[in-house]
Amino acid sequence: MNLRLDYVVRETTSNFRRNVTLTLATVITVTISLTLLGAALLFRDAVDNATVRWKDGVEFIVFMEPDITAELEADIRGQLQDSREVLEFTYIDKDEAYAEVQELLGDSPELVDVITAERLPASFRVKPTDTLPERVDRLAEVFRAQPGVSRVVTASETIRAIEDLSSGLSQRVIIIAIVLLVAAAVLIWNTIRMALFSRRQDIEVMKLVGATNWFIRVPFMVEGLIQGLVGGLVAMPLIWLTNNYLSIINDDVSLELLRGFAVDPSRVWSLGFQMVGLGALVGTLGSGIAVTRFLDR
Amino acid sequence: MIKLENVTKIYKGEVLALQNASCEVQRGEFVFLVGPSGSGKSTFMRLLNKEEDADRGRVYVAGKDIGVLPGYKVPFLRRNIGCVFQDFKLLPNKTVVQNVAFALEVIGHPRSVIKSKVPAILELVGLSRKMHNYPDELSGGEQQRVSIARAFVNRPLILLADEPTGNLDPNTSLGIMTLLDRINRTGTTVVMATHDRGIVDKMRRRVVELDKGQIVRDQSRGVYE
Repeated sequence: MNLRLDYVVRETTSNFRRNVTLTLATVITVTISLTLLGAALLFRDAVDNATVRWKDGVEFIVFMEPDITAELEADIRGQLQDSREVLEFTYIDKDEAYAEVQELLGDSPELVDVITAERLPASFRVKPTDTLPERVDRLAEVFRAQPGVSRVVTASETIRAIEDLSSGLSQRVIIIAIVLLVAAAVLIWNTIRMALFSRRQDIEVMKLVGATNWFIRVPFMVEGLIQGLVGGLVAMPLIWLTNNYLSIINDDVSLELLRGFAVDPSRVWSLGFQMVGLGALVGTLGSGIAVTRFLDR
Repeated sequence: MIKLENVTKIYKGEVLALQNASCEVQRGEFVFLVGPSGSGKSTFMRLLNKEEDADRGRVYVAGKDIGVLPGYKVPFLRRNIGCVFQDFKLLPNKTVVQNVAFALEVIGHPRSVIKSKVPAILELVGLSRKMHNYPDELSGGEQQRVSIARAFVNRPLILLADEPTGNLDPNTSLGIMTLLDRINRTGTTVVMATHDRGIVDKMRRRVVELDKGQIVRDQSRGVYE
């Protein structure tokens, strides 16, 4: 094909200059849609992290004293087994609890260092047969009084509300983001069509003298690629800011139940790169389709 | 070099542009295509560089059946065929030298080749002194010379000229014909569609006359009528 770099650079920059406003609008749309998508995914991750203990119908957790005797622990276990109001329960030993903390606090190694498996309490996660709040509270009360139990934490309605709200919210945001992303692809497609139209004489001559379709296509596809890429690169810091905002929530809410409402920085990075990649993909595809349709006419 | 075998071309299922046309052109020949508007001259040319496909029959260029040529090879066919038009088809925002260089650039020639070939071809067509002018600063004849330079710079096997003198006065037309004749003498096969009786009668080359899509006359050293 012998496509020369200086040719592609020259053609692409001249196209950009021809269509500054349209290019700007496209980049902004890409940025907004990718930021929303990234933020929604981050938010979902954060809620998942915060509510990991409350998955699958767990309504309350019985934490035992770190130095509980095996006898007392067996007593509590027996009582859970015998109770008709308990559907099922899971035992989380010290090591499992430690693994979970490590995962949640992965971004603050100094905290993980302070905590040791020995100092963490073992616990039972209980799913009651009846999830009515009053019933759950009454059942929890029974175990709270047991010797060897340090405390019993119930999944408050707040947690449930947050879970419901967040899943509905992030779902909606993801839908909006996808719609915007499609809009961005259409905008890129349209920008490239305008560029093609303003250069139709050149393209006619190029086809006449025997330029290959790929030769004609590449500068336009590079233009779309750059629009998507720039949109994604601008979205990346915005996604970072979103994560900082989540961390602020995390610090502010003193509610112990919401601990872990944050996302690992490496996850934020990889999400950011995924959004840049998605932008580049959308840009390249949008422009590629536009040129191919134009050339096939 | 060029062979049409029983070629029929129908546009949109109803307009019969060529009907069972057969014609063979040898390497290095100069052929005039004559006939009234709508007789199929342009279709004849458009079939040769595969801007159109024949509905029936076969078209051979340089020994190859181009009806079965896959789409990705069409650009390479066109590199062997130079095209000149009545309306020149020059790019108005490029200078003379840029217009010609563009044709070489987009088929991937390196800059060094472009730098040596373009001034040489402009010398050949007699436009060395107007290299850096824009098309709208040139006369019609000069613009057609640029377009011929662009068509010939790649040394194609075939030059197709669709009424190249249609917009030019008789004197200027003669100059263009002298140029096409010189190109023909280098061994390039030239096919020229024209309405210009004076030129055909003066040049006395092979004449193929089309009427309503049929070849009604094929005469060596012929005249317009």
